[in-house]
Amino acid sequence: MGATVTQRSTSTDSTVALKDAVATKHPWNVVVWNDPVTPMSVVVIILRKIFQYSNAKATKLMMTVHNEGRAIVWSGEKDTAEAYCVQLHTHGLHASIEQDS
Amino acid sequence: MGATTIFIRRRDGRIEVRLNERGRDFVRRQFERLMAVDGEADHAWRSVVNQPIDPADDVDDPLWVLERERVASSNTELALVTVDEEFLNNAEAWAWLCSLQHVLRGISLEQRLFSDEDVAARSDDELNDVRVLQLLLFELADVIES
Repeated sequence: MGATVTQRSTSTDSTVALKDAVATKHPWNVVVWNDPVTPMSVVVIILRKIFQYSNAKATKLMMTVHNEGRAIVWSGEKDTAEAYCVQLHTHGLHASIEQDS
Repeated sequence: MGATTIFIRRRDGRIEVRLNERGRDFVRRQFERLMAVDGEADHAWRSVVNQPIDPADDVDDPLWVLERERVASSNTELALVTVDEEFLNNAEAWAWLCSLQHVLRGISLEQRLFSDEDVAARSDDELNDVRVLQLLLFELADVIES
């Protein structure tokens, strides 16, 4: 009985600790920036290829870039964000990463 | 999807390139210009090819920088060796698209085209290469999607 209680207590503590860790760890955003020369359809197919997004989602993100000057196209772990950013660069888009505040 | 006239998707999946000699010379010159960036540390297009991953950091991870240079160089080399091909496969078409896009952004940086107003202030002559590259990219994107 005692052992069971201890086990439950440990499990709960782990869950709380994990929630705290998730809550305090800010994700990294991959940002695509607007430029006045890149055709819209080029941005869409690059986003579709790299992130496997639907045409609708890629088009919506492209319009955000066009209208607001930038769009967060992906959020998550830093390493993955860097890898995506490098892929965007090799496809010729203006992109960078930033940590969510 | 609009009808394309420069790039046509064939039934066997290949992409036919319907560029005449003048068109291919133009594309070849652009790919060669991009190749030249590799050999020049202070080339005007350097910041397009090697833009910062995290602008808040002083230095990018060198492994990512090397990876980016490797992929960009491979794309440009592939684009250049296929510039006279009548047909492209998808990988070659993507290499063309990536390389043309780098050239477009390199030229826009060189000509200081940072906003729609900057573009509007230029004459048709000044924007000739930009317009040709946009047309090629627009049609290539359209046919890659098809």
